[in-house]
Amino acid sequence: MPNPKKFIVEIENLHKAYGKEEVLKGISMSVMEGEVVVLVGPSGTGKSTLLRCINQLTVPDSGHVWVNGIELTDPKIDIDKARQHIGMVFQDFNLFNHLTALENITLGLTKVLGMDKKKAHTRAMKELKRVGLANKYASYPGQLSGGQKQRVAIARSLAMDPIVMLFDEPTSALDPELIGEVLKVMKDLAYGGMTMICVTHEIGFAREVSHRIIFMEHGKIVEQGSSEKMLTNPDLPRTRQFLGKISEIH
Amino acid sequence: MEVITILIPYILRGLNVTLKVTGVALSCGLVFGLILALLRVYGGSLLSKIIAQSLTILRSLPHILLLLVIYFVIARVVNLSPFWAASLSLAIISSAYQAEIIRGAILAVPSGQMIAARSIGMNRIKAIWHVILPLAFRYAIPPWSNEAAIIIKDSSLVYVLGVPEIMRQAQYYSARTYQPFTAYLTVALIYFMLTFITNRGLDAIERHIRIPI
Repeated sequence: MPNPKKFIVEIENLHKAYGKEEVLKGISMSVMEGEVVVLVGPSGTGKSTLLRCINQLTVPDSGHVWVNGIELTDPKIDIDKARQHIGMVFQDFNLFNHLTALENITLGLTKVLGMDKKKAHTRAMKELKRVGLANKYASYPGQLSGGQKQRVAIARSLAMDPIVMLFDEPTSALDPELIGEVLKVMKDLAYGGMTMICVTHEIGFAREVSHRIIFMEHGKIVEQGSSEKMLTNPDLPRTRQFLGKISEIH
Repeated sequence: MEVITILIPYILRGLNVTLKVTGVALSCGLVFGLILALLRVYGGSLLSKIIAQSLTILRSLPHILLLLVIYFVIARVVNLSPFWAASLSLAIISSAYQAEIIRGAILAVPSGQMIAARSIGMNRIKAIWHVILPLAFRYAIPPWSNEAAIIIKDSSLVYVLGVPEIMRQAQYYSARTYQPFTAYLTVALIYFMLTFITNRGLDAIERHIRIPI
């Protein structure tokens, strides 16, 4: 259960435009420790941009972001150091193509955290085991299925001991058959108490493990609430219409 | 008999110079080219523009002209032997082409690789070194083998600066013995062998570091 006394992510009045196209029009939200939040909304609404603005992979035009009490929008901050413990999982996996599954995980441990090789190896194997891929440690990304790649990518993030995990449509590029294995890993994480912000349209996942659903459209938060309320009885007709539609599909 | 006693020593002395000139030009050209490519891609718009313009100028002039110009500039500024001045001039010329080869390879790396590297907390330099360059290196080998073949043959240009590489040596021999055919045929065979071996070597490296799929 989320800990309402501690906020892991706080976002205040975030704005971001690409040229004249305003993608985020003043987003404010916060996420509690252990909370699983699902972000939904039509494509081009700014969900991914919002996620990237949290770890400053995309630098917002204005507004503030705090993670674990540290303001990341402060220009004086060492953002590389702050990012070490913010896990991010991408739609197209982005595994390092020239490295094996194991090396994908050890790279950050050795080159970012300065862990020695042996320790990094042990830690990486532990994470691979956690996502059920210990036997694939020597495989290159090109030798893995989409679902396996995404599980390695999750393991790569977990190895860095994240305080929050950001998922950017983690199952959108997967064959329907492979979605389940990735969702299972994500559910295990959620039940384990990980703080998670997930951009996904997997309504089943949202229903089962998320505490809150946020519906975004045109760069704004339209409505948010507990998953149960949002899925059964949202306040706004637009929310009902959108969630109804994606429930039909998924 | 004369062929063995006179031609071979002549050519061997020249071959030694040719190999050294090619080696210096390609390796220094690689280092310069890599630096130029990185600055052009990651160095900000002003620096990028300046480098782009300079490379365009370097690539639009005949090598022989550049060789003479750079050679005399280098010779003015520092006191280098003709061998080093000529080799470094060739290295500068080659760096213009290698910079573009490497830039192309860097741009061919999917953008997600950099994003993923930054997302686990790597700074830009680490991300470039551990993720971008190992991938770019693989893309760069086929076009780079082209550049290597060109520089092997362009090393013959340094003879205009009085550096006695195999072309120059062949000329000496032919002037002395009136046997141009023997001399130039031998040199042609040597250029062929050098290029052939280099390409085979690079093919082997390419196969060796190919990412399994």
